[in-house]
Order: sequence, then C-alpha cells, then structure tokens
Amino acid sequence: MANERKRGRGPLRLGVLGVLLIGCLLLTAIVGALALGDDDDTTPDAGNMIVYGLTLNPSGFDPHIHQSSELGIPFYSLYDTLVYRHPQTMEFVPGLAERWEMAEDGLSWTFNLKQNVRFHDGTAFNAAAVAANLDRIMDPDLGSQKARVLLDAYTGYEIVDPYTITLRLSQPYAPLLDVLSQVYLGIASPAALQANTNNSYQWHQVGTGPYKLDEFVPGSFIRLVRNEEYDWGPVFYAPVTDGSLDTIEFRFYIDPATRSLALESGELQVVGELLPTDAELLAGNVEVTVYQVPVPGTPQQFFFNTRHAPLDNVTVRQALIYGTNRTEIIDAVYQGRSPIAHGPLTSTVLHYDPEVEAMYPFDLDQARALLASQGLQDLDNNGILEFEGEPLELTMVFSSWNQMPDVAQLIQSQWRELGIDVELIQVPDFPSLRQRVRDDDYDVIAFYDFSVEPSLLNRFYLSGAVNNWSGLSDPQLDQTLYEAMRQTDPAARATLYSAAQQRIMEQAVVLPIREYVNLVGVSSDLDGVVFSAQGWWPLLRNFQYSG
Amino acid sequence: MRRNPRVAVALALGVLIALLSVLAPLLATHDPRATSPQAQLQSPSREHLLGTDLLGRDVYSRVLYGGRRTFGVALLTALITLGPGLLIGAMAGFAGGWIDTLLMTLLDALLAVPPLVLALALVTLLGSGSVQIAVAVGIAGIPPYGRVTRAAVLEARSRPFVEAARAIGARPAGILTRHILPTIAPTLLAFAGVTLSWAILNSAALIFLGFGGDISAPDWGVMLADGRQAFRTAPWVALAPGVALSATVLAINWLAESGARD
Amino acid sequence: MLPFLARRVVMALAVVWLAASAAFFALRSAPGDALDATMARAGASEDQIAAQRAALGLDQPLPVQYARYWLDVARGRWGVSLVNGQPVTEVIAQNVRPTLTLALAALGIALALGVSLGVIDGLERPAGLRWAAGGLAALALAAPVYWTATLAIYALTVAVALFPGVGAEGPRAVLLPALVLGFHTAGSIARVTAASVRDAARGDFVRTARAKGLPDRDVVDHILRVGLLPVVSVAALQAGFLLGGTVITEMIFVRRGLGQVLLTAVTNRDYPVVQGLVVLSALVYTALNALADVLYQRLDPRTRREG
Repeated sequence: MANERKRGRGPLRLGVLGVLLIGCLLLTAIVGALALGDDDDTTPDAGNMIVYGLTLNPSGFDPHIHQSSELGIPFYSLYDTLVYRHPQTMEFVPGLAERWEMAEDGLSWTFNLKQNVRFHDGTAFNAAAVAANLDRIMDPDLGSQKARVLLDAYTGYEIVDPYTITLRLSQPYAPLLDVLSQVYLGIASPAALQANTNNSYQWHQVGTGPYKLDEFVPGSFIRLVRNEEYDWGPVFYAPVTDGSLDTIEFRFYIDPATRSLALESGELQVVGELLPTDAELLAGNVEVTVYQVPVPGTPQQFFFNTRHAPLDNVTVRQALIYGTNRTEIIDAVYQGRSPIAHGPLTSTVLHYDPEVEAMYPFDLDQARALLASQGLQDLDNNGILEFEGEPLELTMVFSSWNQMPDVAQLIQSQWRELGIDVELIQVPDFPSLRQRVRDDDYDVIAFYDFSVEPSLLNRFYLSGAVNNWSGLSDPQLDQTLYEAMRQTDPAARATLYSAAQQRIMEQAVVLPIREYVNLVGVSSDLDGVVFSAQGWWPLLRNFQYSG
Repeated sequence: MRRNPRVAVALALGVLIALLSVLAPLLATHDPRATSPQAQLQSPSREHLLGTDLLGRDVYSRVLYGGRRTFGVALLTALITLGPGLLIGAMAGFAGGWIDTLLMTLLDALLAVPPLVLALALVTLLGSGSVQIAVAVGIAGIPPYGRVTRAAVLEARSRPFVEAARAIGARPAGILTRHILPTIAPTLLAFAGVTLSWAILNSAALIFLGFGGDISAPDWGVMLADGRQAFRTAPWVALAPGVALSATVLAINWLAESGARD
Repeated sequence: MLPFLARRVVMALAVVWLAASAAFFALRSAPGDALDATMARAGASEDQIAAQRAALGLDQPLPVQYARYWLDVARGRWGVSLVNGQPVTEVIAQNVRPTLTLALAALGIALALGVSLGVIDGLERPAGLRWAAGGLAALALAAPVYWTATLAIYALTVAVALFPGVGAEGPRAVLLPALVLGFHTAGSIARVTAASVRDAARGDFVRTARAKGLPDRDVVDHILRVGLLPVVSVAALQAGFLLGGTVITEMIFVRRGLGQVLLTAVTNRDYPVVQGLVVLSALVYTALNALADVLYQRLDPRTRREG
C-alpha cells in the first residue's frame, strides 16, 4: 500500500496544487510574452494625436470598390477630389480641378487641373492620373460597387493636354459634379495602383490629401499622419496651426453602449453614432461636447409593399402615414434630437421641397376615417380590423441599425390603435434583409441611404430599380426623375424634384420617420469640428486642439 | 443526508420564481407589451414597481411574464442537449473502440462549427425566434455534454466494483445502468446545471447579436440586451431581469448539485 | 504509439472534413450571399451583380462549388475573402495573436479562480469561505458576459481609472477583458471541480486511507488527483471556446481577434473566411481533446490500462 502510494506520486511530488501553480505561472509567462509582443503598434512620435472611433467595420476600404460611407471617415482626408462641395454654401468649389466647363450639349465636361500637386509618394498629379483612376473604376474586373454605379452616364475621357481632361457622357448628367465630389472618386496615385493588386491597394492607399496613410492593420486600426506638403486644398480647408492634428488613429467601436464610456475614459477623442440616451448623459459632462450633424439623403423610413393587399390601395397607405405619430417616436427613441421627416428626402438635400411637410400631419381620426372608407371594419369587435374576412396583420421587416427595432415597436403600438396588428421581424444583417425582398416576404420594410444629390430617388422609386422595394411603378414619376437627371439648369431641376417628391408622397409608398442626425461625441479640447457636405465625413484638416 | 441550507435556499428560490411566472397574469400591473413613450425611463414608483423602460413599458410586469419564456427556452434547450449528449457520451465511454472513435469524431465536428454559424443556418431554415435560438444553442451544447459524460464514464468504468461486476458476468447494459450511471450521476447532474446555465446565457448572447425573434415580447434575454443602452440613466431596466436571470440560474445550479447528492 | 497516432490523425482529418462541410452547407443555406452584403446595398444593377457572381464562381451548383473548394484546399489554396480579396490565411494570421493572448490569459485566470473556488466548495474547507466560493461560481455562471463587461468597463475605466479604457492598445489592454472572460469561464470550471472533488472525497480509497490514519495532506492530494480529472476535460473545452474567439468580448472591448473576424464574415456571407475559421477551429479542438485524453491517461493511474 505504501509502495503503491509512493510510486503513484512520482512526478506529482509537489502535490496537485503545486503542479497547478506552476502551470499557472507558466501560462502567465506565455501570456506576458505574447502581450508584450503586441507592443509593436505604438506610435513613436505622435505629436498632436487623436483616436477616432469608427462605428462599423465595413466589408472593404477601397473607395473605388466599396460602398460603405464609413470608409470615407478616414479616407476623405487622404484623397482630394476634382471638385468639392462647400460644407456651408453647398456650392461646388475647386479641388484638384481649378475650373471646369460643361459643353453646350451637356455631353461633355472639361476640367482644367491644378499644377504642382503631388501624391504622397512624390509622383506628380496630372490628367493622366485622373484617367488612370477612371479606367480603374470602370474596369469590370475591379467589381466597383458604388463609384462605377455613381458614374452612370459617363462613357469615357479625352486627355486634351497634361493638365486638362474632358469627360464624355452618353446623355446630359446633372449629378456629375456631385459624384466627382465624393470620396468614391478620390484620385489615387497611379503608381500606387500599379504597385498593388486590385484588392491589396486598400491597405496601401496613396492620394494627394492633407493626411497620408501611415499604417493600416485590418480590423484593428488605421493611422493617418499629416501631409506636410499639402497646400492645394479647397478654400474651406483651414490653414495649419500649432493645434492641428499630426496623427489620427481610427479604431473600431462597434458596440454602441461602450462608445460613451470610451469617450469618458479619455481613450477616444471623437466617435459618432452615440446612443441618444448617452448623448443626454454626456450633455452634463464638460469634457465632452456632443455635435448633432445632419446627414442628407433619404430619411430613416419604411417602404410599403404595394404588391400586397391591402397596401395596394393608396388610401390605406395614406391612412397609415396619418396614423403614425412621428413626434412621439423621435422624442422617445431619439430623445428629440432629430427633425421629423415628411418626404422621401431630408431637408438638407438639394432641391428639397418643404411643401411635403404639410401633406401628412399626424391625425388619428383622419387615419381611421380613411381606413373605414375603404371598407376596413372591426366587425367582431376584437379591436382588429378585418380585411377579406381575416384580421388585418402586416409584416414589418427591419434590421437592428439606428434603433429601428425601437421605432418598429412604437409603430406596432400606434397602429394597434388603428386596429392593425403588426408582426415585427428583425433580421440580423443586410443579406437577410435582401432575401426577404427577393422572396417578397414583407409588407413594410426599412431601408435608407444617404446623398446630397436628389437623384438618389432614382434608386428607390424608378420602375424596376434594384432597390425599389415598394414596387412602385409610376411612368409619370419615371419621366420626371429621368428628366431631372438630364436637366442641368438648377431652377428646372428644382421644379422637377418638387414634382417628384410630392408625387411620391401622394402615392404614399414611403413612411418617413426622421431625418438622420449623427450624434458625434468630441473631446471638448478639440475645435474646428466640421463635417463635409455629405454629412458623414469629418474635415480632419480643420480639427485642432484649442489653446 | 446532511441537511444543506443551499438546497433550502435553491428550492425556495426556484419555487418562488416558478410561482411568480405562473401567476404573472394575476400579479402583473400592466400589459407587458403596452408602450407609453411619454413615460419612458421612469424610476420605480408606486405605479410602476420597477420603473419603465425606453418605450415606457412596465418593467415589473415584463419581468413577471419574462420568466415563462426563459423557462420554456431553457427547458427546450436542456432537452435537446442532455438527451443526445448523455446517450452519445455514455455509449462512447462504455463501448470504447471504434464506436468511441466514431462518436467522438462526430461530436468534435459539431463542436468545431461555431455556434454563430449554426445559429444563422437555423434562423434561415426556421426563421428567427426563441425556439430557433433554443434549438441552435441546444445542438451546440451536445458535444461538451457528450464529452464530459464520456470522461465520467471512462473514469467510473475502471473502478474496482465495475471490474467485479464484469468478472461475475453481468451484462454490459446492466453494468452501465445499474453501476456506472448512478456513480457518475453527481458529476453529470452538476454539468447539466452548468449546461442549462450556458443555454440561458448563450441564448442571451445570440439575442444580443441580433438573432432574437419577437423583439417586443417580454424576455429576460431581450430585456438585458436592451437595458444596456440606458444602464447609466436607468439601471433598473436591466437590473430587474438580470437579478431574475441570475437567481434562476443559481437555483438551477444548486438544485442540480444537491439533487445529485440524494 | 504509432497506431495511436495514426488513429488520431485520421480522426483529426475526419473532424475537419465534417465540420468544414457542415459549415459549407449551413452558410449557403443562409439567405443572401456576399454580394448582397456589398454590391446590392449600393444599388448596383442586377446585371452587374450577376456578372460578379459568375466571376467569383458563386453561381455554380452547390456540389460543384463544394468539390472545387476541396480541390483548392488540397493544393494548399485556402481562398480569398469574397468581400475584400485578402487571402484567408493572412486574415487568420493577423488575428491569431490577440485571440491567443486573451484566451490564454483568460484560461489562466479561469483555472486559478475556478479550481480554487471549486476545491474550497468541494472539500468544504476552509469552512467559512464555502458559501462565498459557491456563490461566486454561481454568479460567474449566471450573468451574461456582455453585462459584466459593461459594468466592469464603467466601474474600472470611467468611475475609477484602474485599467486602460476600451480600445486601448498595448500589453495592459488585455487585463480587463481577460479578467471578465476568465471570471465567467471560472464558473463552469468551479462547478465541475466542486462536484467532482466532493464525489472523490466520498470514495472508498479515501475512507480506507483515513481509517488507516494516512496524513491528511496525502488524502487531500489523492482526492484532488482524482477529483480534478474532469477538470481537464472542461478546461480543454473552455480553451477551445476561448480560442474560437469570443465574439462579444472582442466587440465590447474593441479588440481584434478571430471572433470579430468570424462575426464580420458570417454577416457578410464571406464563405472562404468562415470555412477557414471552421477548419482552424476543428484542428484546435481535435488537438486539445487529444491532449486532454493523453493527460487523462497519464494522470489517472486507473485508466492507464485503456488503449
């Protein structure tokens, strides 16, 4: 017995707990080694530095290829565009192009480019560079998701001389300048494009902008450093001062609840898309300032599926819009920090028509009356209207972004007052959302996008458009939208877009909820916090430490 | 058997929670789904015993009704995990040889598929919802339970009394059921408790990631995830379901463990 | 030794194949594909999307895609991300280290805490601490990770700045997430340890040993050696979970890692990346289980006979 015991104890002479202790110490040592090795991400001499929080990790960061507006947050300042929109006046101002001119027939635009502009890698900017970029975007092998789609009527270019380039169009195309002012058409160094494959370029981007890419570790951080040679910026870019930023590090803060915590702990200096309740909380904190930045485009909205009865009846749809108390929704979910949306475009979009604001005031009685007028009644007195003998139930589909689930739940309660049951379906991601569209498995669905240019409407309201999820097919509206895209006279465009917005609301295919407002938390010792005309993208050039 | 104060506490807790859930319709003061946005985020008061959430719903009533869903989901998950897990683990551990190898290979393969991928596939096939989450979490829980069962069976199999039973020619099935299982029951029951806890928590995690179904239904997991948004201005919104959830898991664990001893 | 190894290797390959296949079909049964996540969102026309789909080979019938995948793997080609073209091996390599660091740190804390709590609880000594140990373990199992994480971040980085804030870089950044994760993992380890130790304490050997007057220390030692065996299994299991990358912890603490890669890939239906992760996961689990089995055999004199 005693022998057995001694043999059994062999290597475990220290006792079980002893072994465990050693094991743990070993583990700690390994962990320590690993963790310390992680230290190669430190910046040597950062100067004036901020950490900027990105709120989602988009599928890709190449502006020519990918479509997420998030990528513009770092990269808008890495590139210059041919033209810029002035963030206050919304007018087009020179960027890489000093002047431009549209031909009489509207089928071509000629751009005179700035000289003495250099890319971050030292190569020269010229017409050939612009041409190389356009070639790249239009190359089917690139698989451009947005830039190419935006270029639409563009057919080709002609290099007139080293600093002049003409762009040709298949038809007059009013949105061209707006397209050229977006980060997706940022001009990249042809040398850098050549040195990388289509897919590897995004980790090694080279532009002409006020900041250049220092390091990009996918999923971890993006570091930009100031371009000392930059002096060809648009007129609204501020001059460099002692407080200007030398280094900007972007990290990914996907969980909304911890964004404000990171701001307060000082780990972050800027982060957008704060939760409205957090914004309320931070209002009392002197170390953080909350900016409310409107983002133009469509409002946060729901489309009605006009292919499904009873939503094929315009009066029923109108009733639903009358019966939705948007003020209540905005106060509760967004803490009142957004304007109500009344039409298919937000008030900061070009050619917004304020007439839509009077079209559907919140009116429960009107809503009920309209529904009754269409034969929808509660015959069995259970509180739900009957439609074709069945209780009326609508399926509402949405994803989890921007507090839409809370909005949906409130609408469910509100429409219950009208006698309509709503089934809420939250989908976890965009492909799932799109699948429901393909399966035509929804009555009401949430979808929206952003742009300063009202031609955004085409994507949602043209008959047969890819993102026309309401199923609207209105030849008159189609005509108007096509015309408006071709028309280059602003006054004429304004009239056409007014007609379009009113027509869309008359057809009641969309339920606008609120205008998107980005709640950006910024450390209070930062000044010059300005965002581009497109709303999402910070003008990092202008940010500076005060005092 | 020594009387264990833990059993008493766990039993009392379990019974209390079960009772509250069953009697929810009688005890609730408001309709758990009724929104009242003007009354959002109110602190506990006489009208709203546990305050209101972001949409003005009564937290107390939602917690009461929430228990039903949580229990339902947990039970379903447990059934899906424990049944197959026990069976497979016991067979593998007892039979050994190629059966063991085959079963362990299957289990490991299942284990290697991330629960996230599993959940997504299930949600597609069956739609989102608590049931679907329960199934996903249940299936994902089979390999761990199977492995622990197998380990316990292996350990018990080599004990002297099992050897003795074999020596006198007892049938394998008999040995398994009459000798081994009772011996390892404590470990298995304890792990069952752990499994149930994991089930509840993993469901909460999947809901957090957006796979939940009926988002307006009172459900402790949903309430916990939502409650994070306003936890600094209105901590009661998440505290109430959190305490309820923790108490339930605690009770389950202690009952499982002490039930094992008797 | 050799047949043992051969069997293990065959098993490992089988596991990898099964798991990857399961993931392959599971993912493709999910609605939408990678191009929905990207091109359709921006309003690309159906034609453009279809063209891209064909270029990526996503329009082929499923068995064809399946066969091509394995043919590529046989040639060592693990594919590239459908979404941004980065090679899958590169994506994984970039994110392994932070996951490993966090996983090992959390495991260490979990083992230390879990075993201590479990042993205290199971041996029922020191007497006073037993309730606390049990309660703590129960708490660890009862609270969702995203809650403890949020509270910890608030309490320990904002209210009292003990740890670096969320998203910090550098070696110290792993401490708080490891603590939170470790705490929760400790719960299951503690539970199993307690039950198993308690069970071992009632065993025949112990009774005889005590009756014979063996020093308490040796008795306890034996109890622990037997009682801690299942812990090996649980620990291996948990190690696997941790290495798989805990999505939520990484998301909340703003840490790079395989969990976050998985979540993004699943959301974007980025099949090659998910497949790659599943294959890696399968390999890791098989290795860990093999290790656990070996340890079992070496540590428990009673099962040493089994082959």
